[in-house]
Amino acid sequence: MSAPGHIVDGGDLPELSSVEVDYVVVGSGAGGSVTAAVLAESGAKVAVLEEGGHYTKRDFNMQESWAYPALYQDHGNRATDDLAIMILQGRSVGGGTTVNWTSSFRTPERTLQLWAERHGVRGLDAATLAPHFEAVEKRLDIGAGNPDDVNANNRKLMEGAAKLGWQPELIRRSVKGCARLGYCGMGCPLDAKRSARTTYLADAVAAGAQVYADCRVKLVETDRGRVRAVTADVLDRGSDRPRARLVAYARRGVVLAAGAINTPALLLRSKAGLDSGVVGRRTFLHPTVPLISFYDQPVEAFYGAPQSVAVHHFADRGAAAGYFFETAPIHPMLGALAFPGFGDTHRRIVERLPYVQATIALLIDGHHDDQGGSVEVNGDGRVKLHYPLHATLREAAASALADMARLQLAAGAREVMTLHETPIVIRGEADIAQIAAAPFGPNQHTMFSAHQMGGAAMGEDPGGSVVDSRGRHHAIENLWIVDGSIFPTSLGVNPQLSIYAIARLFATEIAKARA
Amino acid sequence: MPGTQGESSRLDRRRFLKRGLVGGGLLLCAGALPFAFRSTLRRRPRGPLRLLSADEYAVFAAAAARLVPGDGAGPHWPTADALDCAGKVDVLLAEVHPDMGSDFRRLLRLFESGVLGAVVAGSPRPFTRASAADQDARLEAWRRSRFALLRSGYQAIKRLAHASYYSSPEIYALVGYPGPPVVPKVPG
Repeated sequence: MSAPGHIVDGGDLPELSSVEVDYVVVGSGAGGSVTAAVLAESGAKVAVLEEGGHYTKRDFNMQESWAYPALYQDHGNRATDDLAIMILQGRSVGGGTTVNWTSSFRTPERTLQLWAERHGVRGLDAATLAPHFEAVEKRLDIGAGNPDDVNANNRKLMEGAAKLGWQPELIRRSVKGCARLGYCGMGCPLDAKRSARTTYLADAVAAGAQVYADCRVKLVETDRGRVRAVTADVLDRGSDRPRARLVAYARRGVVLAAGAINTPALLLRSKAGLDSGVVGRRTFLHPTVPLISFYDQPVEAFYGAPQSVAVHHFADRGAAAGYFFETAPIHPMLGALAFPGFGDTHRRIVERLPYVQATIALLIDGHHDDQGGSVEVNGDGRVKLHYPLHATLREAAASALADMARLQLAAGAREVMTLHETPIVIRGEADIAQIAAAPFGPNQHTMFSAHQMGGAAMGEDPGGSVVDSRGRHHAIENLWIVDGSIFPTSLGVNPQLSIYAIARLFATEIAKARA
Repeated sequence: MPGTQGESSRLDRRRFLKRGLVGGGLLLCAGALPFAFRSTLRRRPRGPLRLLSADEYAVFAAAAARLVPGDGAGPHWPTADALDCAGKVDVLLAEVHPDMGSDFRRLLRLFESGVLGAVVAGSPRPFTRASAADQDARLEAWRRSRFALLRSGYQAIKRLAHASYYSSPEIYALVGYPGPPVVPKVPG
């Protein structure tokens, strides 16, 4: 048994340093953490490089002004290149799991079937994944949905859906001892959330893995079809500027788990393994359309478990793109960013914050004729995300808004408001028809994404995918990808649990091959 | 079947040049406005600026003043200056990718331009020297523009102004938010 490893802050590294291990893991979120744990527990020497800082529950002060710059990509300012879709994506030790809202779903079987039938994925079915889901659910304390988790914000979703026969379901959550404070998106100050930092990363460290925080991997270095090292800028935590360099040599292999935007960007920046021509293509976001409703009694959507109810009644709409409903917590800054207008017009919405309910529709992209977006990098390595909203998804967005409005009216909302720059106020069914004619061009309606997927798809065809159905790169034999970028389409459910489970399957295979 | 990597890269580069934080085309226009800051009405920052120039700081501060609650809000609502929104945004921009900071600085030059103001909103004065009504009209014209690039520019300024303002504890009570709860004590 190896001696325990450590989490090393970038500030403790010298100007130039190097490490040599069996496996280098890039990224410490869902995919990276479980991979590091499996490999380290198999006896391999593992180094995990994480761009973000190392923060613990003592740092999580529940203030948006601290949390978004510290814990999110681009200091909370990541967006598509036209700013039409705001991207909520984590960046700290624990990756996205530090700020995840804890909603846990297994990969839908119809999505796995779609991947097998249309995208050449082999041997990735529900039965194969079941033991890995079970293991992850046990480690993350994911139990049955709990009715006590349902706050007023979620109760409106549940009641409206039930009245309309749309089958609301309780969401399973990755928590233990949750006090339902409502601040999952800013880091849990109780460590009640079973994040990667408190579970699989802790396991990896206990088994000897070293975790290097503040290390932004710039390049993957390849030589004759093998990856030999990765090079990282060590960032100064205060300025977020490079202050040193770390080279991590990999005796056996490198595992990329930097997320569906940064993993394709890293390959593009490194000019490594691009033969397929599809790296950075077909990026999916579950583009998310919010709708707000005003109630006579306080909803206080800023408190309580952020998400505890989901509605998948419209997930399969046949030839049309599907969508599903959940809720979003509304703290002052996040609400203000989503609400349209400025000055006093905007203030009159924000002032009603305690009475606002927020329902969100997540559009299921990539299952029809829409091709998603693309990730590119410029000469300085800056990441660009381009995502045009395909006509199929614009139709889904309008349909989802109408259905969410019906749902909230059924739940008893006094009025419902779309977040178009010229909002549509709905007080009855007759008003809903206006939505069909409302614009959905860039920045004409608030949209965001908390689920980034695709861009380095798996499949058995080296001409149309980047890695095989066990995450191994088609052209670089000792390079694996274990994050959401390998999904050939979006999932149709919150992706975190699927990333953990699929990464665990892949890591188990890597460890077996090594043995 | 995709083309060769070389063809793909050239295509990517052409596409890439058309885009940016608020669209490459829009920001290239900013380069043609060398005198945009010639008569900018400056404001005194609270401390040394980390990224923005004094002119850029003044343009953002002027825009933020109109974007946050204003004339009809009542005296208990703090101004954007009182919460140092421009100073906070300067600190943030100094820490994001340098390209993002550069793009935003060019956007501020464009937003200040009287030439563009005349074309977009019929107001030929620099933004910082326009009346409050004309400033609102300029923001409104960008917000509702039929040109996607102007709408992107509006969102870039609006989001930074609102993020810096509404994340301030001073406004919590004003929007009915009691603030974070007291965390129960747990072992460990």
